[in-house]
Amino acid sequence: MMKKELKIKSNKTNQQKQKRTNPLANVFDDFIDFCQSKSLFMLHYCTGCGAIELPPAMTSRFDMERLGIQPMVTPRQADILLVTGYVSVKTLKRVILTYEQMQAPKYVIGICSCTVNGGMYWQSYATAKKLNEYMPVDVYIAGCMPRPEAVLEGLNRLKNNIKNDRKEQKGSAWKDYYKNYDYYLGNQQNLFGKEWQTPVDVIAEAKLYGLEGEGTYGENTKKLKMVQHPLLPQEMKL
Amino acid sequence: MRPENYQAVPLGDSNEYEIFIGPNHPGIEGNYALKLILDGDTVVKGTTDAGYLHRGFEKLMEGRLWIQNLAIVPRICVPDPAPMEVSYSLAVEEIMGIDAPIRAQWIRVLQLELSRIAAHLFTFGGHAATTGMYTPMYWGVADRDLVLDLFEDFTGGRVYSIYNIPGGVRRELPEGFLEKLSHLLDYLESRQNDYDNLLFTNQIFVQRAKGVGVLSKEDALEYGVTGPNLRACGLAFDVRRDDPYLIYDQLEFDIPTQQKGDAWSRILVRRDELFQSIHILRQVIAKLPSIKGPIRTAIPNPLSWNVPAGEAYARVESSKGELAYYVVSDGGDKPYRVHVRGPSSMHAVQTLEFLAKGARIEDVAQIMFSLDACPPEVDR
Repeated sequence: MMKKELKIKSNKTNQQKQKRTNPLANVFDDFIDFCQSKSLFMLHYCTGCGAIELPPAMTSRFDMERLGIQPMVTPRQADILLVTGYVSVKTLKRVILTYEQMQAPKYVIGICSCTVNGGMYWQSYATAKKLNEYMPVDVYIAGCMPRPEAVLEGLNRLKNNIKNDRKEQKGSAWKDYYKNYDYYLGNQQNLFGKEWQTPVDVIAEAKLYGLEGEGTYGENTKKLKMVQHPLLPQEMKL
Repeated sequence: MRPENYQAVPLGDSNEYEIFIGPNHPGIEGNYALKLILDGDTVVKGTTDAGYLHRGFEKLMEGRLWIQNLAIVPRICVPDPAPMEVSYSLAVEEIMGIDAPIRAQWIRVLQLELSRIAAHLFTFGGHAATTGMYTPMYWGVADRDLVLDLFEDFTGGRVYSIYNIPGGVRRELPEGFLEKLSHLLDYLESRQNDYDNLLFTNQIFVQRAKGVGVLSKEDALEYGVTGPNLRACGLAFDVRRDDPYLIYDQLEFDIPTQQKGDAWSRILVRRDELFQSIHILRQVIAKLPSIKGPIRTAIPNPLSWNVPAGEAYARVESSKGELAYYVVSDGGDKPYRVHVRGPSSMHAVQTLEFLAKGARIEDVAQIMFSLDACPPEVDR
């Protein structure tokens, strides 16, 4: 039942895309992008040390709110996911769950060197080294740890990327997750084991958004289908 | 979310249900989680779920040179990094059989007490925010930033300074630093009334914090509680006075205590400690210019530096409690074994589970923040 509905919806969106005859459509698009870049809700997942520089960036002295960015407590209402610092394997599972729960368009910012290449913990057995192997990252803010000014600068870059997204395609890393889902899933399976699955059906969402690409399907998604089964409530314990 | 995943949860015989708090939750300090079994809004059982921040510190340190370890040591406890450096340096100095010069010891005390002020200001805000008061958070973070500016001035780093080195400190204080520090202390003291009115005697806060998470003296000792949490139970134990390190035996300061052992007592102890730290810093400002001399005892070339075989246990009083490093050397260029005795693993695991039992769900976050646990140090 559900799959049929999804197909109908995706056809509709395709048709709508072809029928853009309104001459003001581009103006509206620009206006929407402008508004989107000016009001962003941020979910900060305090995965590591970088979280300590967020309170100064959010409160009176550096005041993130003047950029139109405010913290948000739930993933479903947030636009930006801030991953602040090293991600241990146990945390990374939660980060991926959080990321998949967020509604598109969604953006990821990796703060601290640890999300770029492992940073200070490059030889640690417990941390995942590169964040962009597991989810697409829009902006990296390097440093150990980056100062609040650097955090604000990173957020400003993200805002510009969102505003100019249609021309430069810089703020659309989230589309990459659907287009190359097989790659990301493969890396996740390597780390968490072959039975790894999340409650979110990414392939169905890709169909819904019309973002299926060649990279959406592959060997790893085949493996996922082999092990995938409805998650029982008891099993959803992490 | 796939709709077919939703299934009705069969109800058991009891009315108990379980919920997760964290790891990504505004009521949780850092990356930490709790699983609560609730009956109505009363916690029947709380189980902590640590390990989200595990990096394998003690193993990492075995693979790095003695001097390289200084870089990762402060990252164990993010809000209060200075005691980590000092404690590690003290342990290595003890094995080597050297002492830091007197002037370096005074500068270390200056750094430790500044770090304590910064950590306590941060805690006030966090604790108040769990009771729904957000203004103290804004004030505390803003005032802490002034302290961080001073840190930047004399160590070069806002949060992680890496200023200590076995044998002393790395740099001399910049010119005019003590005057700046003096101005900051004046400012912090002038804020005392504001903070009292806003937070410590504010009925909105007092009514929420009084009688919450009561820890008796016996239980506190049994669970290994140290630091301000222990002093809030009425036991005046402070490593600075009872096992003096550096030059703390030459300084005058009180050990503030409270009797009740609840969340309010704990925050009051921290408040008094902040002003005691200011008192200590004033003595340092008065004494430091008259102490001349080197700031570092020479150590061999750090890249081929073999610390003689031996072991040492060096403890300091951090803002969270007693912090200690147990370092074993086998005569090589890397530590043979390092163990960190952090205060937070005692506070955030057993003590939190003990205090959460029987508490109401809205108080769980407050209990956690009032214990001032530091999750990165629990997991290490």
